[in-house]
Amino acid sequence: MPMTRTPGATGAWEAIRTDQISGAFLLLLAAYVGWEDRVFPVGTLADPGPGFMPLLIAVFLGGVGLLIAVFGGKSEPFSSIPWPEARRAVLILVISAAGAFALERLGYRLTMIALLVFFLGVVERRHPFAAAAVAVGFSVITYYVFSTLLQVQLPNSPWGF
Amino acid sequence: MAETAQNLLLGFSVVLQPSVLVYAFIGCLVGTLVGMLPGLGPLAGISLLLPATFGLNPIISVVLLSSVYYGAMYGGSTTSILMRIPGEAASVMTCVDGYAMTQRGRAGPALAIAAIGSFVAGTFGVVGLMLLAPTLATFALRFGPPEYTALLLMGFLVLAYMTGGSMLKTLAMAGFGLLLGMIGIDAMSGYTRFSYDIVELGDGIGIVPVAVGLFGVSEILLTAGQPVPPKVQKPTLRQLIPSREEFRLSVGPIVRGSLIGFLIGIIPGSAHIISSFVSYGVERRISDHPERFGNGAIEGVAGPESANNSAATGAFIPMMALGIPTSPIMAVMIAALMLHGISPGPMLITQEPELFWGFVASMYIGNVVLLILNLPMVGLFVNLLRVPYSYLYPCVLCFCVLGTYSVNNSTLDVWIMLVMGGVGYAFRKFGYDLAPVALGLILSPMLELSLRQSLAMSAGDYRIFLERPITVTMLVISTVMFLISLKPLFFKGKDWRADVGLDEQSQPPGV
Repeated sequence: MPMTRTPGATGAWEAIRTDQISGAFLLLLAAYVGWEDRVFPVGTLADPGPGFMPLLIAVFLGGVGLLIAVFGGKSEPFSSIPWPEARRAVLILVISAAGAFALERLGYRLTMIALLVFFLGVVERRHPFAAAAVAVGFSVITYYVFSTLLQVQLPNSPWGF
Repeated sequence: MAETAQNLLLGFSVVLQPSVLVYAFIGCLVGTLVGMLPGLGPLAGISLLLPATFGLNPIISVVLLSSVYYGAMYGGSTTSILMRIPGEAASVMTCVDGYAMTQRGRAGPALAIAAIGSFVAGTFGVVGLMLLAPTLATFALRFGPPEYTALLLMGFLVLAYMTGGSMLKTLAMAGFGLLLGMIGIDAMSGYTRFSYDIVELGDGIGIVPVAVGLFGVSEILLTAGQPVPPKVQKPTLRQLIPSREEFRLSVGPIVRGSLIGFLIGIIPGSAHIISSFVSYGVERRISDHPERFGNGAIEGVAGPESANNSAATGAFIPMMALGIPTSPIMAVMIAALMLHGISPGPMLITQEPELFWGFVASMYIGNVVLLILNLPMVGLFVNLLRVPYSYLYPCVLCFCVLGTYSVNNSTLDVWIMLVMGGVGYAFRKFGYDLAPVALGLILSPMLELSLRQSLAMSAGDYRIFLERPITVTMLVISTVMFLISLKPLFFKGKDWRADVGLDEQSQPPGV
């Protein structure tokens, strides 16, 4: 679903360019890393300390970010980037994060079943029977292949499966 | 030469064991499927299969993972030709003329030429690997920390110069990857950097969660909610046979594509992707009828497909001989070897001849397997494309969680993968290429260590980089390349990259 904006804000979004935004973000990231790096000894040019390389890379990244922003005036306007999938992408990430949280608590099989049922049944609105069949089938088959055949350790639920 | 033949025989004696052959076959099959799936490229595929190699011996592990790699190279072409969906980025150029041929009812010959070109190029690449890698390894024994520092710097600048799109954006992504590589314990001082009191971050961020996040999860996020896939053509075996004219037109592009791909494969960067762009550009440029390109020219399929397969093989040379990954895929391969206690580098070929020559021999076999597998079974493979994407992507995502978790049995890795997925999604929306991030991450500790070791050797004197001939040569090449790369920022006019389709404008979106 496309993102909506108020009419008054449209002009500002039209004026801002994609490279200006991304360049500014990289510059901020570099500044943050430089700030975080202050706790490590930088050493000298002849004898670099543990803080030397991160600082050097942060300066490099900041410089490149600045150049991207400065030369970004002719890049695409930010408003021209389509975001039709953004809402679903965020939803996928949130559900996956819940899966990551549950993985060692509920065990591999239960987590995968829950994730797939949610993705297929709720997000994609597939038939409940099909969603359940795919979820259980995927969970059981991958557990058998990876854990039983290939001896990869996968977490079990507190109830032992 | 006799020694090479003898070594190759040793390799075949290792590989022709039934257990290894079975894994080569499985690898090719899985790789072809991975290459066809829009959500999974070779990098994500290899990363996900990494845990499956834990219980295998090192030779079988490398054979399995490399089979997946070049299987994915083949598989990507099928969706490009039949559906105009590149299964992986290296197949983007194949979409242009491959799909145009499909629309003209010539899908079969396009698939056949892609498979034959890939076979010829893959075999050419293996011969090159066989002849070049041992020589380069012997030469690399002269390398000390200063040479490695210069080589790694040159790698980044060549990557920035050769990659498609904006050089500044490539360098920014390399810088971002280098910063990620700074997380964890500093090998020389013992300081734990940027770990935020998370014990697991002391070991740094692994390549697998980053690669799966950047290339697997971000792709799923970008393609989420896409409509039902278009109807797929399913050519029969008889329809695969190209005409005499199509064969004649394909010979030159296959030969040139193999050569271009191999040469580009050796240098750092996303070689297999770049090589297909360069090959397409070259074929279009030297053609007597460039107007045919884009409308179903078989040369536009033969050249790029050969180039990306040859490059895929060529990329193994610096990895095996120098121990330096020239692409994120090679970084995962190195990680796979290291899990088995083997460090690629100049000594690998002499210390582990069975592994190196077994691997070379497996590539010959892999190429034959793929040719046999791809052509007659294409009808079977395209059935996979009929599975609705709404069923496919949740399963791929669950595979991503499974693969990432099982490398270290770490939930943190799954979190890193998800964060990288989100970051990769955002960067791709803003037109950034993500391959340099993964490359930066893996090369960062090497670069820091070699730089600091060099300075320790010279008691802090930077002239050590100017006193050694190999180092000076590499630094001069790097400087020249950097200056040439800066040219478009200050002077208007087309540079050579535009001619071969490597500039931002000539690339399709989403690459």
